[in-house]
Amino acid sequence: MDVDTAIGAYNNLAQQVFGDPKQWPGDGKFKATKLEEVIKSIVGDVTGNPEDPLLEVGNASISRT
Amino acid sequence: MDAGIPVLFRSYQSQETHSGCKIWEAARATSAAPTFFKHIEIGNKQPFIDGGLGCNNPSKLVLKEAQVVFPTHQIGCLVSIGAGQAEVISIGVPGFFQQIVPTHILDALKGISTDCERMHEDISLLFANSSNTYFRINVEQGMQDIKHSEWEKMANVEAHTIQYLRKKEVGEKLTLVISAIKSPKAQLMIEQFGINYFVI
Repeated sequence: MDVDTAIGAYNNLAQQVFGDPKQWPGDGKFKATKLEEVIKSIVGDVTGNPEDPLLEVGNASISRT
Repeated sequence: MDAGIPVLFRSYQSQETHSGCKIWEAARATSAAPTFFKHIEIGNKQPFIDGGLGCNNPSKLVLKEAQVVFPTHQIGCLVSIGAGQAEVISIGVPGFFQQIVPTHILDALKGISTDCERMHEDISLLFANSSNTYFRINVEQGMQDIKHSEWEKMANVEAHTIQYLRKKEVGEKLTLVISAIKSPKAQLMIEQFGINYFVI
């Protein structure tokens, strides 16, 4: 993901997550389920699978992201 | 959940153990700032909270990791990017309806900006004899009034950042950063730092 795409993705995440706080804040002011949903959608857009493992296998070298 | 023991989520093979988690779990765990989101449990019911509590400037951790992964390599450069000064990284005191947040966590929050700057000083000393190898980039002015959750103020963040980047000394520093990344001089062996520096 290049820098401009990442900034766009963050803007979208921040708006969706922080723009919709919990009605009755309990363990945290914002919805963790919403955060998870948006993160998975970003991962899915980039890798094709929102459940992809973090560890890169094969010849992948140190991540440059 | 001990804020004093940071966990590294690695996306690369290493001799060190790795958590075997998913990408979204790692992202979720590093966002688990108390009073913002509830913590997350990964793998063997291990709870995680945001590293901002105990390790907001992980420069020494990065050097220690480099020592493990590349024991015989040299360091070309280290670029540390801050999130603005003081209040911008505070996450606020819990409100009336919040779950009670332990005092030691609130104390940790108050110390974040101090810790970041202290770490910067420590790393500057480590690289004192190696010019143009360590760089710290941090928007120093204007971010104080913008809270983490104020997504609608993104234009202000952009304006302050552009203003920072336009400063003469920052422009000069960035030129040196680019040159250090493109053609590193690699003056320092990683092992020269010595493991004793890395007691955190």
